[in-house]
Amino acid sequence: MSRPDWIVLVLTLLGIIAYGLYKGRTSRDLDGYFLANRMVPWYMVLLGIMGTQASAVTFLSAPGQAYTDGMRFVQYYFGLPLAMVVLCITFVPAFHRLKIYTAYEFLEQRFDLKTRTLTSFLFLLQRGLSTGISISAPSIILSSLLGWDIVWTNVFMGGLLIIYTMTGGAKAVAYTQQLQLIIIFGGMFVAGYMVIHRLPEGVGIVEALHIGGKAGKLNIITTGVSSKGFDWNDRYNLFSGIIGGFFLALSYFGTDQSQVGRYLTARSVSESRLGLLMNGLVKVPMQFLILLLGVLVFTFYQFHKEPVFFNQSQIDLLASSKYKDSLVVLEKAYDATEAARIHSLGSPGLPALEKQKAAYRATVKRWLKDIGADDNDTNYIFLRFVVDYLPKGLVGLLIAVIFLAAWGSIAATLNSLASCTIVDFHKRYSRPASKEKEYRLSRMYTLFWGVFCVAVAQLAYNLGNSLIEAVNVLGSLFYGVILGIFLVAFYRKRVGGTAIFISAIIVEAGVIFLNILSRKGIVPLSFLWFNVVGAIGVMLLSEVIQFIKSRLASQGDS
Amino acid sequence: MTEETQEEEAPLFKRWNVWYMLVIGFLILLILFFYFLTKKFS
Repeated sequence: MSRPDWIVLVLTLLGIIAYGLYKGRTSRDLDGYFLANRMVPWYMVLLGIMGTQASAVTFLSAPGQAYTDGMRFVQYYFGLPLAMVVLCITFVPAFHRLKIYTAYEFLEQRFDLKTRTLTSFLFLLQRGLSTGISISAPSIILSSLLGWDIVWTNVFMGGLLIIYTMTGGAKAVAYTQQLQLIIIFGGMFVAGYMVIHRLPEGVGIVEALHIGGKAGKLNIITTGVSSKGFDWNDRYNLFSGIIGGFFLALSYFGTDQSQVGRYLTARSVSESRLGLLMNGLVKVPMQFLILLLGVLVFTFYQFHKEPVFFNQSQIDLLASSKYKDSLVVLEKAYDATEAARIHSLGSPGLPALEKQKAAYRATVKRWLKDIGADDNDTNYIFLRFVVDYLPKGLVGLLIAVIFLAAWGSIAATLNSLASCTIVDFHKRYSRPASKEKEYRLSRMYTLFWGVFCVAVAQLAYNLGNSLIEAVNVLGSLFYGVILGIFLVAFYRKRVGGTAIFISAIIVEAGVIFLNILSRKGIVPLSFLWFNVVGAIGVMLLSEVIQFIKSRLASQGDS
Repeated sequence: MTEETQEEEAPLFKRWNVWYMLVIGFLILLILFFYFLTKKFS
């Protein structure tokens, strides 16, 4: 990176920390630290919700996803607006009425302590590990692309935000997320403008859409239905997006404390609702625009030389492996093919050259797989374009965007991990303490979870893709069951604590077993459907267990 | 619906149901627009 890039990057990050410290002054009790004294307006709730959901990988991965697989990924978000409506009708008024700090507190009031403890523990386990991955994933990309040391990148990605999160709690998180999202949207808008600006003369956005569409990148709506019937293993289509996405969004926004903690900070039920409903209005268009950026980058590379593999660090690995001589030969042939392809745009010889180019890329991926390197470069596409083609200063801004996206999401999560630790465990299982002591403990727990997540990030790097994949699956395994518990709590009043606890454990075991069958290819089922199976499974089984329990009790009485 | 939700008036439309219909209606419009884009550019 050039000096102007470094200046922009460092000033932006320092500015956010200073802003968080300045705005984060609050009362020294749990209400102030975890709920910002319940004084946050709806637009800050909206930005908090969006900033928590959108991690660094959202902005790195989505354009690459559109580049390689087309825009159908947007369907993943179709269930979200529907989930926002259900949350506003059911979850939000209940949470506000009970004046709770964590979503799991509600479960003790509705069921019993063991159900609350189980769900809070599952949240801490899953969120603690996945936040480590949220730090690790962008750090690995940046360190590969820019040659930065991975340990320091992890520390800066996950460590600096601890300063304002620990000091200012939820208020600092809310204010910094507001500023972070303004910078992020500004940066992405400038990146989009620069891609269009760098297209050849006579190629505008409509022509770019035609080029992308011709290559199958405008596959925004797909049904997943073929001559063989519906493909249950297809991740992104209209039905899995609406149904699976609805259950996923409902469980994420309704039962994950990192999100519940955002709208509990609102001044009133109305302000929480407005924030959530606005999220339902803007989320899908926002994802559409981020994916569109990927299609524009794809069009750009139709007129410019595309790298044979976007992750240069893996090519460097290949260059020092048994394939080093073959790689030299292949790169020369690839360069010649790319030059001929760009020269032949619009001519009859183009399809053959594109086929040849695809074959070279496939060969490189095969070699990478063979030496145990990462053969997926989707997450590197957008940033590689930024580094190679954007002017000085803007590169720094886009790298800052990646950091800020990570910080916004991680800060909210650290705050929620600390709130569950102190409210659901420390306060619940130990002797009462003064408000001042609870406040100091909350800061210490925030620090603890921050250090824990950075340590997990480093472990993820050391262990490679295996841990990342395991943690990604972990979320979809638990979300459905937790959602099922909450849905029973709201809609099935006659089901009691023991019935829900037993059914949750049985269904969780079933979902894990289903995942094993799915990974072995015995049951073809995409991960989005696990949320549906988990939620509906808990609802049905708890009814059955409650029925049996009631019958046994009535038999015992007679 | 709880008592609290009946007490709190919705901004702009007075009733929250109108907001809910707006969100769902906008989603349907978006899906139709995306379908149009898919057909036009594929």
